[in-house]
Amino acid sequence: MHINLTRRDWMLAAACWAEVLRAQSSSKFAWFDPVMAAEIEAIAAQIIPDDETPGARQAGVMWFIDGALAGYDQDKRELYKRGLAETQAKRAQMFPGSANIAGLSGAQQIELLKAIEKTDFFQQVRQHTILGFFGHPKYGGNLDMAGWKLIGFEHAMSYKPPFGYYDAEAAGGNQK
Amino acid sequence: MSDARYRPNEVVDFIVVGAGAAGGVMAKELSTAGFKVVVLEQGPWRQAKDFVHDEIAVMYREAFINDHRKQPNTFRKTPNEPAKVQPAVEYARMVGGGSVHFTTNYWRFHPEDFRERSELGAIPGADLRDWPITYDDLEPYYTKAEWDLGISGLAGSNPFDGPRSKPYPLPPMPVKSSGVLFERATKQLGLHPFPAPVAVLSQPYRGRPACIHCGFCEAFGCEVGAKSSSLAALVPLAVKTGRCEIRPNSYVRKIDVGKDGRVRGAIYFDAKGREIFQRAKAVVVSANGSETPRLLLMSKSNAFPQGLANSNGNVGKYLMFDNGALVVGLFEHPLNEYKSIVVTRVLHDFYRSDPKRGFYGGGGLDSRFDYYPASFALGLMPPDMPQWGSEWKRAVGQYYTHMGGTLAHASCLAVEQNSISLDDTVKDAWGQSAMRVTFKNHPDDLKAVDFLIEKQKQILETAGAKKVWVDASSVGEITYSRHLMGTCRMGDDPRSSVVDKWNRAHDVPNLFLVDGSSLVTCARQQPTETIQALAYRAAEHIGEAARRGEI
Repeated sequence: MHINLTRRDWMLAAACWAEVLRAQSSSKFAWFDPVMAAEIEAIAAQIIPDDETPGARQAGVMWFIDGALAGYDQDKRELYKRGLAETQAKRAQMFPGSANIAGLSGAQQIELLKAIEKTDFFQQVRQHTILGFFGHPKYGGNLDMAGWKLIGFEHAMSYKPPFGYYDAEAAGGNQK
Repeated sequence: MSDARYRPNEVVDFIVVGAGAAGGVMAKELSTAGFKVVVLEQGPWRQAKDFVHDEIAVMYREAFINDHRKQPNTFRKTPNEPAKVQPAVEYARMVGGGSVHFTTNYWRFHPEDFRERSELGAIPGADLRDWPITYDDLEPYYTKAEWDLGISGLAGSNPFDGPRSKPYPLPPMPVKSSGVLFERATKQLGLHPFPAPVAVLSQPYRGRPACIHCGFCEAFGCEVGAKSSSLAALVPLAVKTGRCEIRPNSYVRKIDVGKDGRVRGAIYFDAKGREIFQRAKAVVVSANGSETPRLLLMSKSNAFPQGLANSNGNVGKYLMFDNGALVVGLFEHPLNEYKSIVVTRVLHDFYRSDPKRGFYGGGGLDSRFDYYPASFALGLMPPDMPQWGSEWKRAVGQYYTHMGGTLAHASCLAVEQNSISLDDTVKDAWGQSAMRVTFKNHPDDLKAVDFLIEKQKQILETAGAKKVWVDASSVGEITYSRHLMGTCRMGDDPRSSVVDKWNRAHDVPNLFLVDGSSLVTCARQQPTETIQALAYRAAEHIGEAARRGEI
């Protein structure tokens, strides 16, 4: 329904979502239990790391994934459970003595994920992480439009030409 | 004018099944000609305010398209292998149909597209045929479609186009950076780019506003009504007559036939799942190239034990799919392709078939970058890079605004075994037999795509791209399509075609099939204008025939 809003209204609305989502972080997930959530978040945080700019963790991607598994993607729950169990077995084999994925060092996590990156499980977590990070903030990921800011996607409701460097140049402008 | 409401047992003049690109034309033309029309549309009737910028809902949760969970289809490449449940066809399930969410490329077929068999001869492994009509027969209706809907373009700018009786009603849309680069490079290569003809208003037209360049165009509905869809441009005019009732959420399961072999009406499920029989003097099926043959095959009767209008067994055969690869490039400066419409420049230099190439076909190219943030990050980064992690994240951050590309719209030959049939082993949510799709590209389809990819790479490199790569999801044999064509072919011979040159079923005098199913060839894709022009032509003829008592 935000289509009739001005850009300013929309920015305010987005800011409200951000508040709602921040409030969520003290509440519980709809489907994940906290242990599984911590493990999946560790994986998501290697897919889109929090570095100079926000990544999956700061953008709240787990809220998107939880919402998906509680709703539209219910049929993916088994894949998550089975895939995570297999990944834990792989972790135990690669890093004897380790207790969980979240407890591994960053370098170990990357090594583990490289070993499973062709699996349906990893591909599914990657898909959910990316959808959450770059999808509409109302689904719980992409907090403060972190994903859109990363790629330079403005998400204004309308634009006027020139749109980019080359059409500005062709029109005789000198856009930076 | 109050909206028309008909009781099911009232015998209306026409039922139109499907309110899409063609069904919208039929509804508007027949109702403004004075006929009582009921339109049965399986999807909802969305309004402009329902169209939001939500990539998750629209691209990943099947908000607008056929819901493959409720409407599964099965797929196999050839009749020799078992069909398995696997989404293979996609169409927009709503009033307005695909015209609501399409890219808006609005191309006329070329004059030679209607007579390729005569010009090129037979193609082994395919059934290439001439159309029973010529470009000149259709030209007045191409023009009518362009003016009725509101098309923006520049007449005379495409040297390969056929003759036109009138220019476009609206000037071209503002060129984007992808279009500037495409035009610059193709001109340097001695080719003939031209401003894209598109079903979008570049200026206000007939009470509708101009495009606001919001960028959520392909796959999305237009929130201001500037996309020239059936929903925005035609349905309101049909409703305004007071003679046309649009019934959304009405899923037709059978066309009913009397002992005399004439159609008597349609049986459908309403939103609550109740079966309703609407009576009519004649039925127009505009349900798209996959659902139209399925509905005919589901409409078995004593008169038509093989399915309606299928005495020769041709219903569902010769299915043609969308074809063509997307090639993208990374440029030094920002293009910001996420703004405005998708396509602003087109090239038809490689359109025509040239026997010297050693294969049938060719294609039209357009300038575009039609990826949204999530779909881009998921699948369009160069395949030689990591697909997750910090290096990937850094590249994703740099690439999105700096990419542009070109999509080929390539030929796809009609092959008899490529088809829509019924799969009685799988049922949809209404208990009806699922659609079974059989499709395997003719080898020449793939050769045309490979030929075009080389041209596309050359164009992007000439345009100065720092890196060029092919969208991996768009190459190889096609197993999924949004263009659904050819399954109830038009022809003069009732033994080898399903409808005559006026879209009337050879077998049934009061049944008309008006959509992509009647296409004899698919030219170089982008079939919407031809589908709508055929609908305008059929509607005029059907109206005249009805008035003379010849239906």
